[in-house]
Amino acid sequence: MENRAYNYAIVRSFVTWSVIWGLVAVLVGVIVSLQMVEPDLNFPPYLTFGRLRPIHTNAGIYGWGVGVIFATFLYIVQRLCKTPLWSDKLAKFQLWFFNATIIASAVTLLLGYTTSKEYHEMEWPIDVMIVILWVAFAINIVMTILKRKDEQMYISLWYMLAAIIGVAILFTVNAAAVPASLFKSYSAYAGTNDANVEWWFGHNAVAMALTAPPLAMFYYFLPKTTGVPIYSHRLSITAFWSLIFMYLWTGAHHLLWTPVPDWIQTLAMGFSVMLIAPSWGSVFNGYLSMNGQWHQMRENYLVKYLILGITFYGLQTLQGPMQAIRTFSAFIHYTDWVPAHIHMGTMGWVSMISFASIYFLIPRIYGREVYSIPLANLQFWLILVGQLIWSISLWIAGVLQAGMWNAMNPDGSLTYTFMETMVEMYPYWWARVFGGLIYMAGLVVFIYNLYMTVSKGKPLATQTASVEGRA
Amino acid sequence: MWEKKPVLLIVLATGVILIGTIITMVLPFAWVNTEADRIEGVKPYSALQQEGRDIYIREGCNNCHTQTVRPLVSDVLRYGDYSKSGEFVYDRPFLWGSKRTGPDLARLGGKYPDAWHYQHMESPRAMVPKSNMPDYGWLSANQLDPQVIQHKMETLGFPFTAEEINALKGKTEMDAMVAYMQKLGSDIPWRQNAKTEIVGDLTNPYAGVGHATMEPWEELYQQNCAACHGEHMEGVIGPELIGGDYDDEVLFEIIYTGIADGGMPSFSNLGTDKVWKLVNFVKYYHLGEGH
Amino acid sequence: MDLGSLLYLGVTFGLFVIFVLIVMRTYSRKRKDEGEIAKYRMLDDD
Ligand code: HEC
Ligand code: HEC
Ligand code: HEM
Repeated sequence: MENRAYNYAIVRSFVTWSVIWGLVAVLVGVIVSLQMVEPDLNFPPYLTFGRLRPIHTNAGIYGWGVGVIFATFLYIVQRLCKTPLWSDKLAKFQLWFFNATIIASAVTLLLGYTTSKEYHEMEWPIDVMIVILWVAFAINIVMTILKRKDEQMYISLWYMLAAIIGVAILFTVNAAAVPASLFKSYSAYAGTNDANVEWWFGHNAVAMALTAPPLAMFYYFLPKTTGVPIYSHRLSITAFWSLIFMYLWTGAHHLLWTPVPDWIQTLAMGFSVMLIAPSWGSVFNGYLSMNGQWHQMRENYLVKYLILGITFYGLQTLQGPMQAIRTFSAFIHYTDWVPAHIHMGTMGWVSMISFASIYFLIPRIYGREVYSIPLANLQFWLILVGQLIWSISLWIAGVLQAGMWNAMNPDGSLTYTFMETMVEMYPYWWARVFGGLIYMAGLVVFIYNLYMTVSKGKPLATQTASVEGRA
Repeated sequence: MWEKKPVLLIVLATGVILIGTIITMVLPFAWVNTEADRIEGVKPYSALQQEGRDIYIREGCNNCHTQTVRPLVSDVLRYGDYSKSGEFVYDRPFLWGSKRTGPDLARLGGKYPDAWHYQHMESPRAMVPKSNMPDYGWLSANQLDPQVIQHKMETLGFPFTAEEINALKGKTEMDAMVAYMQKLGSDIPWRQNAKTEIVGDLTNPYAGVGHATMEPWEELYQQNCAACHGEHMEGVIGPELIGGDYDDEVLFEIIYTGIADGGMPSFSNLGTDKVWKLVNFVKYYHLGEGH
Repeated sequence: MDLGSLLYLGVTFGLFVIFVLIVMRTYSRKRKDEGEIAKYRMLDDD
C-alpha cells in the first residue's frame, strides 16, 4: 500500500469482472447439465444444449480463467518488477475491451455464429477482437518487465512471458479461416489437417492458459502466503523449459485412433507420458516449500486452497498421460470420463488457485481485512465437495458406459445397443447436477464474502500487510 | 543470461515452442490430404448438403455427436467401417467431435429413410423415448436463402449448377439437414462391402415356444422396431408387419442384414440371439395365447 | 539405417544434449547463489 504509484484500481476491476464471468460460467454449466437430464429445458432456437455448452466453456476459460490471469498478472508484474504498470491507459482499454469481447462472444454464440472448433468457437470478428486484446495485454506486461527495478526475473515472470507468446501463436494459427460473410467463415484447413491443427491448439490452450498462468500465480502466492521462499528456483526453471518444450508435441493425444497419421499419435503419446516429469517438478517444488510449514495447512485457509490446488494439478497430470495412452484412450475416449478429467483441472486446480489469489489480493488492493475467514473455509469445503461429486460420479459413468460399449456376446456381437448404455448415464448426470449446485453455492458464498469485505471489511492495519492471510 | 534478459527469454521460449509445433503440426501437411489420401468417389458437398452441414455447426450438434469411427472392434460393429483420412478432404471445419452423448454419425448416410429423420428431428423422444436430444422441428419453419448458399459454395470452391441453386427455393433448413445426414459416410460403398455374412445353418432356436415366453421380448420390439413399424406392428415409416408371410430364415435375414435400399436398417449388432427372438415375436406373438 | 532414422536419432540426441546442458548450467555450483536469489528477493517486494 505504501507505494501509491502501483495501479491497483485496474486489479480491482479485473477481479470484479472475472468473478462476474465466473458466476455466469457456472450458472450456464448448471443449466446445460440440467438440459442433459431434462431435454424439455431446451428452448429453441437460442437456449438449446448445442448453443449453450460453448458459452459455458468459453465463459469459464476466457471470462473467469483469463479474467483472473489479467487481474493477477497485472498485480504480480508490478510487485515483482517493483515498478508501476507501463501504461495505465492501455490497461484501462484492456479492461473494457475484455468485457466487450466476452459479451460479444456470448451474444454471437447464442445467435449460432460458431466455428464449432472447441475452445475456439467464436467467429472471425471476435477472433480479431481477441487478438487486439491479447496484444494490449502483452505490450503492457512486457514493457513493465523491461523497465523493472530488479534485475533477476522470478519464475512467475517466466511463465507469464511463455503464456503470452504461446497463446498468441496458438490462437492466430488456429484462427486462420476464409470468411464467407460477417459471421460465417470456413477453416483454412480441411479434414484431418484441421483436426490436427485444432488439437495442437486445444491441448496447448490447456498448457498456456490453464497451466502456465496458474503456475505463475502459484509460485507467487504460495511463498507470499506462507512467508517462506519456494523450495528451489532452479528446479522451477528446469521444469519450465521442459514443460514448454514437451507440451507442444502432445496435441494428437486427443485424436488417438482417428485418421491422423500414426506417427503423430505415437509422438503425442510418448511426450504426454514424459510430461509427468516437468508437471511433477512444480508439484514437488510446492510440497517441498511446505517443509516445516505444514502446520499452516490448519492455520491458514489460503495455504489450504493453494496446496489442494497443486494436488489436483498433480492428479490431473497423472491422469492426463494415462488417457493419452492408446489402449486406455480406446476405452474412455468419447465418454463422460473426459469431462470429469476436465473439471478436476478447471474446478480443482485452476479455480482453487484463483480463489486463493483473489483472497490474497483483496486486502492489498482494497486495504480491508477479509470479512469472514469462516465463510472462506465454508466455501473451501463446498467447492471441494461439489467438485469431487462432479468428477467421481462421471468417472464411474465413463467407465460404466465404456464397459457397456465394449461388452460382447459369445457370438461376437455387441451386448448393448447405444440407447441401453445411454440410459444408464442418467443417475450419474443427476449426481453431476447436484455436485454443480453445491459448487455454485460455494461460489455464491465467495461472492458474498468479497462483497462484505469490500463494503464492510475492517480497514487494514498497515504493519500486518505482509503477513495477512494467516488466520 | 536469459534470467536477466526478458527479450532473450521470449526469443528462446518461442524457439522451444516452435520445435514441437513444426514437427507435429506443420510437417504433417506434407502427407495429409495429398494424393496418397485420395479416395475415389469422395465428392464435395452439394449446395443443399453443405447448407445442412452449416446448420449442424450452427446448432452445435457436434457437442453431442462424433463423426469418426475408430478401427476398434466395438466401434466398427456398432457404427460401420472405420473412418479414413481421404473421406474428410472437403470438411471445413472437421466435425469429429470429442464426446458421444449421442451415437457417432460418421456412417449415418443410408441407415434410415428420410421420413425417419424428419420425424426424429421433429421429436427425438417420439422415436426413442429416453433420448435427451433437443427437438429441432422448428428448422422446418426456416426457408433457405439460395443467394447466401451460392455465395458459400463459391467461397468453398465447390462445384454447383444454377438448377441446383434454383432448386433450393422453397426448401427448408430441415430439408438441408436431412440431405446432409444422408450424405454422411456414404461416399465409399462400405455398406455393400460389409453385407453381413450369416455363417452356419439358420435354425430357429426358439421354434414353438409359447406366448408367455415371448412376452418379455416385446421390450426388444418396442425399443428397436416400434418407431418404424408401429407399436402394434401396424406400420408407420416401415410397412405393417405380417410376419406369417415369411419363413423364419428369411425373416432372420431381413432383420439381421436389413434392406439397404428400402430403408430397413441392419440389426446384426443386436446379435443372433436377440434377432431370433424378434423373428419369433414378429411372426407368432400376434397370434395370441391360443398359439 | 536410412537417412530418415539417422536424422531422427540425431535430432533426438541433439535435443537431449541441449537439455543436459541447460540442467548442468542451471545447477552448476558457480551459479548456486545466482540461481536462487530471485526466490528471496520476491519475498520483499512490499
Ligand atoms: C444433448 C445432446 C444431443 C444434441 C445436442 C443432439 N443430439 Fe442427436 N442424438 C442424441 C442422442 C442421445 C441420440 C440417441 C437417441 C436418439 O436417437 O434420439 C441422438 C441421435 C441422433 C441421430 C440418430 C443416430 C442413429 O444412428 O440412430 C441423429 C441422426 C441425430 N441425433 C442428429 C442430430 C443432429 C442433426 C443434431 C443437431 C441439430 C443433434 N443430433 C443434436 C443427442 C443429441
Ligand atoms: C428406420 C426404420 C425401421 C426400423 C427401426 C425397423 N424397420 Fe423394418 N422396415 C423398414 C422399412 C422402410 C421396410 C421396408 C423395406 C422394403 O421393403 O424395401 C422394412 C421392412 C421390414 C420387414 C419386411 C416387411 C415386408 O413386409 O416386406 C421386416 C420383417 C421388418 N422390417 C422387421 C423389422 C424389425 C423386427 C425391426 C426391429 C428390430 C425393424 N424392422 C426395424 C424400416 C424400419
Ligand atoms: C500432463 C498433463 C496432461 C495431459 C497429458 C492431459 C491429457 C489429456 C488427454 C489425453 C485428453 C483427451 C481425453 C479424451 O478425449 O480421450 C485430455 C482432455 C482434456 N484435458 Fe487434459 N491432460 C493434462 C493436463 C490437463 C490440465 C492441467 C488441464 C487443466 C484444466 C486439462 C484440461 C483438459 C481439458 C479441458 C480436456 C478436454 C478436451 C476436450 O474437449 O475434449 N488437462 N487431457
